[in-house]
Amino acid sequence: MQEGKILGYRRINRDLLRGVFENPVKYWAIVLFLGLVVLFAVGAAGFMVNRGIGVTGLNRPVFWGFLITNFVFWIGISHAGVMLSAILRLSKAEWRRPATRAAEVLTIFSLMTAVLMPFIHTGRPWRLMYWVFPYDFSRGIWPDIRSPLVWDPSAVNTYLLSSILFVFIALVPDLAVIRDRSSGIRRIAYSVLSLGWRGTPRQWKLQAIAGILLSALILPVFVSVHSIVSWDFGMAVSVNSWHSTIFAPYFVIGAVHSGVSGVVTVMIFMRWLFGWEEYVRREHIDALGRLLIVIAIAWFYFFAMEFLFGIYGQEGDELATRSLQIFGHPWGWLFLTFIITAFFFPVPLWLFRNVRRSFLWMTITTISVNVGMWLERFIIIVPGLARKQIFTQSWYTYAPSPIEIMIVAGTFALVLMLFLLFAKVFPLIPIFDIKEGQILTDEIKVGRRRVPAVIREE
Amino acid sequence: MTTTADNNRDRVQITVDGPELNSRMVTEQVSRDFFNVTRNYRWLVAILGSVFVIGIIALILRFLDGFGVSERAQWGYYSAMFAFLLITAGSAPLVAVGLRWTKNHWRRPFSRVSELYAAVGLLTILWFLPLMALLPPLEGRRSLWVSDEFIGVPLWWDFFAVLGLVVCGLTLLVLSAIPDMAVLARHGDDGPRARLLRSISGFWRGSQSQWNYHRIGLTALGAFYFMLLIMVQTMINVDFVMSLVPGWKDSIMPAHQALTGLQTAIGLVLVTTFILRATGRYKDFIPMESFWSFSKILLALCLLWAYFWFAALITFWYGRTPTELNVLSTFMFESYRIPFLLNFFFSFLIPFLILIWNPVRKSVLGPTLAGASVLIGAFFMTIRLYVPAFGIEDVTGHTLKAVQPAILPDVLDIFIILGGLAGAALIYLLASRIFPILSIWEVKEGLLYQRVRPLLRSKFLVLGKPD
Repeated sequence: MQEGKILGYRRINRDLLRGVFENPVKYWAIVLFLGLVVLFAVGAAGFMVNRGIGVTGLNRPVFWGFLITNFVFWIGISHAGVMLSAILRLSKAEWRRPATRAAEVLTIFSLMTAVLMPFIHTGRPWRLMYWVFPYDFSRGIWPDIRSPLVWDPSAVNTYLLSSILFVFIALVPDLAVIRDRSSGIRRIAYSVLSLGWRGTPRQWKLQAIAGILLSALILPVFVSVHSIVSWDFGMAVSVNSWHSTIFAPYFVIGAVHSGVSGVVTVMIFMRWLFGWEEYVRREHIDALGRLLIVIAIAWFYFFAMEFLFGIYGQEGDELATRSLQIFGHPWGWLFLTFIITAFFFPVPLWLFRNVRRSFLWMTITTISVNVGMWLERFIIIVPGLARKQIFTQSWYTYAPSPIEIMIVAGTFALVLMLFLLFAKVFPLIPIFDIKEGQILTDEIKVGRRRVPAVIREE
Repeated sequence: MTTTADNNRDRVQITVDGPELNSRMVTEQVSRDFFNVTRNYRWLVAILGSVFVIGIIALILRFLDGFGVSERAQWGYYSAMFAFLLITAGSAPLVAVGLRWTKNHWRRPFSRVSELYAAVGLLTILWFLPLMALLPPLEGRRSLWVSDEFIGVPLWWDFFAVLGLVVCGLTLLVLSAIPDMAVLARHGDDGPRARLLRSISGFWRGSQSQWNYHRIGLTALGAFYFMLLIMVQTMINVDFVMSLVPGWKDSIMPAHQALTGLQTAIGLVLVTTFILRATGRYKDFIPMESFWSFSKILLALCLLWAYFWFAALITFWYGRTPTELNVLSTFMFESYRIPFLLNFFFSFLIPFLILIWNPVRKSVLGPTLAGASVLIGAFFMTIRLYVPAFGIEDVTGHTLKAVQPAILPDVLDIFIILGGLAGAALIYLLASRIFPILSIWEVKEGLLYQRVRPLLRSKFLVLGKPD
């Protein structure tokens, strides 16, 4: 551990503010490309709103398809922020420092994207207004507060707000650094945002306390969000394979699995884009790789339990649904791809130190995890719905339309684009955290060997 | 970065305010305590042995009362005791395994305290044997094994899984203790215990390659033990609880039992270490900071416990099928309401309210009380799960048709339970005469990497991170 050099504060400021003050051509080229994809997706969503959801592949009885799968996926990715930032901050893991902000920002943008999905999925997004504000008091039309579908927006919005607050609190000292290096309107904007930060001992103390308190408070919110998303499914007794008590923790651990993998991918991408070789080092992805092994194994246990208990009941309908998931066409192939890409391909590779320390392999394996985790949600949602009705003419097999594919592709571009735009305005690696890490880095002598060490404040 | 001059001002301490320590102090204190058998120890062994014998007599009387599949109901408390031993003592070695992976320095004094519980596995496996004759055949009921055509399902698979766990735990204990046994063999007189230590650890020279194999062995065995434990908890929970209740399908329950195991493992280690400390032994090597660090993990596990329980509750509450409602009534809200409430209070509410306060966490007593609480909670959890499951007569069918009446313990049940607890404590005490209760090599290794160093106007703990 601690393979980094001791860097001066000036160097740290220069390196980590490169994204804010410099304009590399490749940055704008990527933003432009992503912007075009987003534009296509917006066009597709507009077309769908104009023509109705008949342009999607949804049909009786499968009314949740690509868009809801994508909603669950992005909610899952958003779990990386708190997992890495809050838990590692509370446990004082030194290697967290370069990863925390990227994780938190990924949380915010993936949550915002996730919220868009049910919106678009309704086909008539303006009708959400009726749902939030009951339009007819006299007839007593209210949203059913006993439904997890109503808890969802509350939980997601609470998580979004607290995540924004979490990011902002950690940003304040860095905003002051940018303020001191800016002029004109930019300086005014950063002055307002940095809330008069001067770096006094009292301000640092308050900032540290706020960070710890928010870390602790946000954890229950983080768990609640994906639990409630899982209960959107788990409460439905009528759909085989959904009504399972393990769904909540299974969804949460799955979200952490895909979210932490997403953070690794993004960190490596940012390292390449902004030249942060001194900050995102092999030791960091090695540590994240080890964490991913534990998370992946825990996830696999929950997956196995969920699946085994589907068979355990020995009920004909449920067995038929499980059979469809594994052997039916095209679900069998998707299932195989899912389990290989989410677990059997990456996890054995992560056991090798050389793989964990390779940026290329970590990129491949973490992308593989997210391919698998996207498919996992798809396989949970659609085959169950396809066999929902006992008395039916045919068990309809869902296939996504080009419109849905474009919208889903657009969400990936949107998250990445927002991420890059954020990096243009704010530092993606917390400057003050890196500096603090440098102060706390030390060495001790053991026999004739010098061993890296950290200073523990408490 | 500090200079060599700073290094010269370093003091070998494991806390900022603690005494200066050296490796010789560790060896001397442990070997003194190890070879010195006190009068209190003898008394304790005698009392525990007596209670254990009474428990065995009660067990014999229970056998005479009736033993077999049709008399299953009166063995409910016995099965609960087995589950309690498996959950607590079976999970305890995981504390050493898990914390060794995370490479925390504060873990060091707890390692052997937790590994020694592997010895209790000898009692667990013996306790399991009668249960094998009490399980009804798989025919006509649900099972994790899908088909009863597999050879030996579920009994022999369960038996070999528990046996494998016990053997793995004991191997882990012996492997971990070998360097310490070699040290103690040199420090002891020529008595039978010193000879025993020499015969076990005679090959140990402490060479680089031996240490490498030792490290790899501990890591591999630890990983194996972890996976085996989770598997055993899952199998036992399904075969001895869920599959005996027609229609009960609760996919989170095995994970919940495994999680309770992790929770109680920490509770057990905290309580044991507290007693060790309270008797005046190893106080300098077991600082308050270690309890503090542990308390944070225990708090997180208590919250997770409540989360798992709620996930199951809300799914059943919303499902509202007849079986789900009857399961809720039987296991939580009607027949076994009192054990359930005690379980909930002791496993979650009380430790949560204790550990939420940092000043309480930052003490020796606070985490210990929370640890004791989760042990009591786990005890009532096994009662509210295993006793009603064993009380159901007709285990075939796909629906639990009625709420099951509660089965109260009789005098024999109480003595069997007390005997089981005494037996576990007795084995632990006896094992501590063969394996030192403080891991000498780990504490010594910790002293190499922990320093207190002056910085500006204060002193700080500096922790070496070699890899």
